[in-house]
Amino acid sequence: MEKVKMKSPGSIIRYGLIMMLFIAAATGVGLLFRSIGFLEVNIVIIYILSVLLTARFTHGYVYGIMASLAASVTFNFVFTEPYFALSVNNPSDFVTFAVMTITAIVTCALTSKAKQSALEALENESETRALCRLTNQLTDAASIHDIASVAAGAISEVLGCRATVMCFDENGKPEDSFIQQSNNHTQNLRQASEAEEIKRRIEQTQYVAGDEFYDWPIHGREALLGTLYIPRITAMTKSQTRLIHSMIESTALAMDRLRSVQARIKSTEEAAQERYRGNLLRAISHDLRTPLAGIMGTAEMLKDMTKTDDPRHALAEDIYKESDWLHSLVKNILSLTRLRDGALPLSRQMIPVEEVVGGAVTHMIRLSRREIAVDAPDEVLFVPMDAGLIEQVLVNLLDNAVKHTASWEEIRVSVRRDDEKHIAFITVSDRGSGIREDDLPKIFQMFYTSSSRQANAARGVGLGLTICEAIVEAHGGWIEARNRTDGPGAEFVFSLPMEVPHDTKA
Amino acid sequence: MIQRRSELILVVEDDAKIKNFICYALKQDGFSVLAADTAQGALSLLVSQPVDLMLLDLGLPDFDGMDVIQKVREWSELPIIVVSARDQDREKAAALDAGADDYLPKPFSATELMARIRVAIRHLYKESGGRRQASAEVGELRIDFDKRLIYLDETEVHLTPMEYGLLAMLFRNIGKVLTTGALIRELYGPGYGTDTQALRTLMAGLRRKIEANPAKSRYILTEIGVGYRLVDE
Repeated sequence: MEKVKMKSPGSIIRYGLIMMLFIAAATGVGLLFRSIGFLEVNIVIIYILSVLLTARFTHGYVYGIMASLAASVTFNFVFTEPYFALSVNNPSDFVTFAVMTITAIVTCALTSKAKQSALEALENESETRALCRLTNQLTDAASIHDIASVAAGAISEVLGCRATVMCFDENGKPEDSFIQQSNNHTQNLRQASEAEEIKRRIEQTQYVAGDEFYDWPIHGREALLGTLYIPRITAMTKSQTRLIHSMIESTALAMDRLRSVQARIKSTEEAAQERYRGNLLRAISHDLRTPLAGIMGTAEMLKDMTKTDDPRHALAEDIYKESDWLHSLVKNILSLTRLRDGALPLSRQMIPVEEVVGGAVTHMIRLSRREIAVDAPDEVLFVPMDAGLIEQVLVNLLDNAVKHTASWEEIRVSVRRDDEKHIAFITVSDRGSGIREDDLPKIFQMFYTSSSRQANAARGVGLGLTICEAIVEAHGGWIEARNRTDGPGAEFVFSLPMEVPHDTKA
Repeated sequence: MIQRRSELILVVEDDAKIKNFICYALKQDGFSVLAADTAQGALSLLVSQPVDLMLLDLGLPDFDGMDVIQKVREWSELPIIVVSARDQDREKAAALDAGADDYLPKPFSATELMARIRVAIRHLYKESGGRRQASAEVGELRIDFDKRLIYLDETEVHLTPMEYGLLAMLFRNIGKVLTTGALIRELYGPGYGTDTQALRTLMAGLRRKIEANPAKSRYILTEIGVGYRLVDE
C-alpha cells in the first residue's frame, strides 16, 4: 500500500522544487518558441502543460494552484510587454492571463481528482487483499497466541509499524505477556506491565490514546479477547483506520471461533471424566460388595448349621455382624464421595414423605426385629428429594437409635410440616442414654466418636451422621442433634424444603 | 408340605464363594441345583435342562445379565430372580422392566433369598394351574376379582376404579415388585410418560383406605426408587 505523508517538511521542499522545475522548463521552452517566432498562444499552452505535469507529480490541489499562479506571473513577467516587469500594456493580455489561470486551475483539479480516485482504488484493492490474507492466515492458526501473532504481523505490515497484541484469558483477565512485532519477520514475547490498568482503560472507551500507544480493544461476542497496541507515532489515514477496524473484527471472530471450539473440547473431556468417575465408583462398590456378600452369606450358613448353644454359632454371628457393619460403611463412603465431589447430582423427584419413612421403618423393623412407632400427618406430603438418599439418612438415624436404646424402649419417627416456611421436618427420637453435652457440637464431624464411650460401642456413629448431614445439606435442609426435654433420650431433627431451592438445584 | 421340593434352580454367578453358599442354602432347602458362571453356559443349560427358576447375577464375565434376561424372555416365562452388586435404582428398575421377576441387592441374607424364591415358585404353580383365581387374600385383605370388590376384615372397602385397578394389579403379582414405570403403563397407558406423581398420589389414597398407618404399611411396601410390592405372607 502506498504511504501518504501529507505535511512533512521534506515533501514540501520536494514538491516545491518539482513545481519550480516545471515552470522553469516551460519558461525555457517559451523563450525558445519566441526566438523561433512562434505565436504567444503556443507559449500559453506550454505553461498549461507544465501546470498539468506539476499536478500529476505532486500531491493535492495546493501545488497545482500555486503552479498555475506562478505560470501566469512568469508569463506576464517574461513574455508580455513590457518584458521583465509585472505590468501590462496591452489590456487584451488580461484576458490571456485570466483564461490561462482558469484553464490551469481546472486542469490541475481534474488531474488531482483522477489521481485521487486511482489512489483510492489502489488502496481499496490492497485493503481487500490484506484482509483476505489475514483471514487465510487466521484460519490456519491453532491457538489464541497464533492468532495474536498473525494479527500483529498483518497490522504491522499494513501500517509499517511495530504493532503489539495482548490476549486475555477465558476469565477476561489479561495475560502477563504480549506479542510484539520487532521487524518484518520476527516477533517478541514480552512481559506486560500494568495489564489490569490497560484493560480498565479499554473497557471505558473505544480506543485509547495511551502515552506511547493507541490501544485498540479486540471485542469478542461475550468478552474482551485482547488488545492491539499501535505506536502513537504511526500516522493513519481514514481508510487505514477502517482497515484496522476490519482486521480487528476478523481477529476477534477467529479468536471467538477458537474459544468456542476449545470450550466444546473441554466440555467433552469433562463429560468423559465424569463418566470415568462414575464407572470407578461403581467398580469400587461392586468389588467391595461382592466379597462382602460372600462373607455374609457364608457366615449366615455357618450360623444356621450350628445350634444356638454351640459357641461356633456366636462366632459365626460375629462374622456376620462385622461384615454387615463393613457393608454399611462401604455404602456410606460411596454416598459421601458422590455428594462431596458433586460428581453425581441428586436425582430429585416429588415423593410423599410417608413412602420414604415407611420404606426405612419397614427395613429397620425387619433388620432389628423391634417395634418403631411412626407419626405422620394424614395429608400426603410431597417433598422434592432423592428418595434413595433420604432413605439412607433415615436408616442411619434409626440404626443409631436402635444401637443406643434398650429393646423395650420406644423409638419414634415423626413427620410434621411448617406451612409458613414450606419446610417438612422429620424427627427420629429414642429413649436411650442421650448425647453428652460435649459431644453435641461435634457429632456430625467425620469419624468423630465420643470419647466417653468405648470405641467399639460408638463405632457406628463415625460416618453415619456425617453422611446424614451431607445428604440433608445437599437437599437444602439442615440437621440437628439434641437431647430430649421430656425425659431421657436423644432426638435428631432434619428439615427438607418443600420446594426446590434455587441455589442448590441439582 | 411333606413332600420334599425338587424344583430345579439354575444359579448363574461368576463369584465362586457366593455361588457356593447360594447352592448350599438351596440344597439345604431341598431344591435341585445347577450352576453356571457365564451367560453362555447359563443359556446352554437353559435349553437342555428343565430349569424351574433362574438366579441371575447381572455382572457376568461374557455378557451383561440384562441381555440374558431379554434373550430368555424371548422364549420362556421362567421366573428370574436377579442378584446384583450394582445398587443403582435405575438398574434395578431396568432389570425388572426387562422381565426379571425379582431383584435382590448384594449383600443379601440367605433367609431373604429363600423367601423370594418361595414366592416365585408359588407363582409358578398358580400360573401353570391354568385357571384364573376368583379371589386372593393377604392378611385381612381380600380381593374378589369377579365382583371387583375389596374386603378388609370382611368389610367391603370402597375404592375408586383406579385404586381398584392398582390393587388388583398388585394382587395378581403378589410378592413381586412392580416398577413405577410398569404400573404407570398399565394404569394410564403407554403414552403417559414417566411422571410418577399421579401414581404416588393414587397410592397414598389407596393406603389411606386399607392401611392402619399409611407411613408404616402392612400390605403395600415401597421399594424406594423402584416401585411397590404387595406382601405375601
